[in-house]
Amino acid sequence: MSLLEIKNLSVQFGSKDKPFNAVEGLDLSVAAGEIVGIVGESGSGKSVTMMAMMGLLEGQGRIVADTLRFDGKDLLTISARERRKIVGKDIAMIFQDPMTSLNPSYTVGYQIMEVLKVHQGLRGAALKARALELMEMVEIPAAASRLDAYPHQLSGGMSQRVVIAMAIACKPKLLIADEPTTALDVTIQAQIMELLVSLQQSQNMALIMITHDLAVIAEVAHRVAVMYAGQVAELGQVPGIFRTPVHPYTEALLASIPEHSQGAARLNTLPGIVPGQYDRPSGCLLSPRCPYVAERCRSERPGLTAIENSVVRCHFPLLAKEAAL
Amino acid sequence: MSTVLSARELTRHYTVSQGFLKPQAVVKALNGISFDLSAGKTLAVVGESGCGKSTLARALTLIEEPTAGALVLDGVDVASGSKSDIKAMRSKVQMVFQNPYASLNPRQKIGAQLSEPLLINTNMTAAEREARVKEMMSIVGLRPEHYYRYPHMFSGGQRQRIAIARAMMLKPKIVVADEPTSALDVSIQAQVLNLFMDLQQELGTAYVFVSHNLSVVEHVADDVMVMYLGRAVEVGSKQALYATPLHPYTKALLSATPSIHPEDRKIKIKIHGELPSPLNPPSGCAFHKRCPFAETRCSAEEPLLREVGGHQVACHRAEEIN
Repeated sequence: MSLLEIKNLSVQFGSKDKPFNAVEGLDLSVAAGEIVGIVGESGSGKSVTMMAMMGLLEGQGRIVADTLRFDGKDLLTISARERRKIVGKDIAMIFQDPMTSLNPSYTVGYQIMEVLKVHQGLRGAALKARALELMEMVEIPAAASRLDAYPHQLSGGMSQRVVIAMAIACKPKLLIADEPTTALDVTIQAQIMELLVSLQQSQNMALIMITHDLAVIAEVAHRVAVMYAGQVAELGQVPGIFRTPVHPYTEALLASIPEHSQGAARLNTLPGIVPGQYDRPSGCLLSPRCPYVAERCRSERPGLTAIENSVVRCHFPLLAKEAAL
Repeated sequence: MSTVLSARELTRHYTVSQGFLKPQAVVKALNGISFDLSAGKTLAVVGESGCGKSTLARALTLIEEPTAGALVLDGVDVASGSKSDIKAMRSKVQMVFQNPYASLNPRQKIGAQLSEPLLINTNMTAAEREARVKEMMSIVGLRPEHYYRYPHMFSGGQRQRIAIARAMMLKPKIVVADEPTSALDVSIQAQVLNLFMDLQQELGTAYVFVSHNLSVVEHVADDVMVMYLGRAVEVGSKQALYATPLHPYTKALLSATPSIHPEDRKIKIKIHGELPSPLNPPSGCAFHKRCPFAETRCSAEEPLLREVGGHQVACHRAEEIN
């Protein structure tokens, strides 16, 4: 059984008569110890999905799902008190900007110890020893002296290490990293990614990696969900999905990466931008931008179909097209 | 190939207060950078935050005056030039900034913002200016009705198109672009990069393209300069630099850049630690504390740029380690 199971999740914002689906019909399952990437452009709903799952959208969005199950517990019907026991302990999250996810008024040691106090009831010397151990696990040099440092005294990479230490403090079963390296330089990004993967392996955590950078996913993930305008366009295995994408959007995303151009003067692009709240087409969401668009795409929204190792939301997936030729 | 811009030992130092009664410290943000930029070519400047690449961009456009060195444009050293030299230079060198949400005036309509360079630098009539602005808008892919809109009505990619149009209004010889796509999504980034390439072909503009993203640089550049702590550590043509990087830092950057096909990666070198504080740079080679090949000489003696295997590299051990 998978650790996390999401079936047909929708998140709505706005008024009841004019709802806007930030996430629509999302299916995702994550097994223990697996690394799943969620990739998509801004506004594709990748962060909202995880916020909804963790119950961090309280009072703002309406969350509807057939199944939203973590580790055998139904997150839809769970009480707030029960949820607090899971979130931060069994599910932990790392946010994009380490400079804003730490409290500037407290030392980093205090902030790590707070997690341990709340969830594990540690006190005194044991508390301090565990905090120090965590700082060493995330490879912060001179950890003992850094316990008393304030966030402004640390660099971006060091702050992100502190955030990771807080996230893994209670040995979570699932770690969600929301653009964990976007704000960092490449050499630091490489160090943080390596740290995350080695922690994931040593602790046997499941890791959900949210990013807009396909290459980061290609480096570490086992499976990847490509999101577009609130829907999963394609869900497939790494590296297969990067060699033979099945959804036109995945293909277009890959083609627009400079790395793929190999000396060509122009990059292949999709015309236009991701549809927003007011201009979502009635048919397939990609239809106004898709190079393969057909009449059916404009009128009928495609469902998810399984093709080889992928699940795809497209009337005319690319592999089938090639087979027909 | 004619050179449009040459920088010689361009330097920008900042003095920083260390506190009451303490001596002022000097941050050498830019420490002797030299290069020649040919007409219609792209020089890319890469490096991590704090390496001085944005300071270089600001010094080239004289937004900040360099503290030493020469910046020669059309035979005139504008770094030490008179006010009229500098005014003439401003219409030849334009800049595109990183964040299109901050670089456009939110209170001015797009038409007014794009006409401003013409208003200041030419004697065109209002009607001529409007025609010229609309022509440029169509070149960068904006519709004529956008002339009357405010910046908040545009997406990030469109705003960057507006910023590019503004930089191109006077048909400058040189455009300095400071991380022009790092705030954009990949598919929008591709559109904006294409626009840069198209404009270069059409107008023959030379670019100084500042970026931290090596795969973007590989796509746009003719020549590449890798910077570390205010100095150039490796300079060469794109082909030479990406095929045979010689400086350990360049290698580390290339191997740290995530790739869609990680199994194809040839160079694998890891570096530890972070960029040292520019207030207190290490002695000798600035990179020696993170360098896997460092020896005693590296901590004592600062390496200078020298010619090795077709490109310039600042490393004592460039021959031995390659």
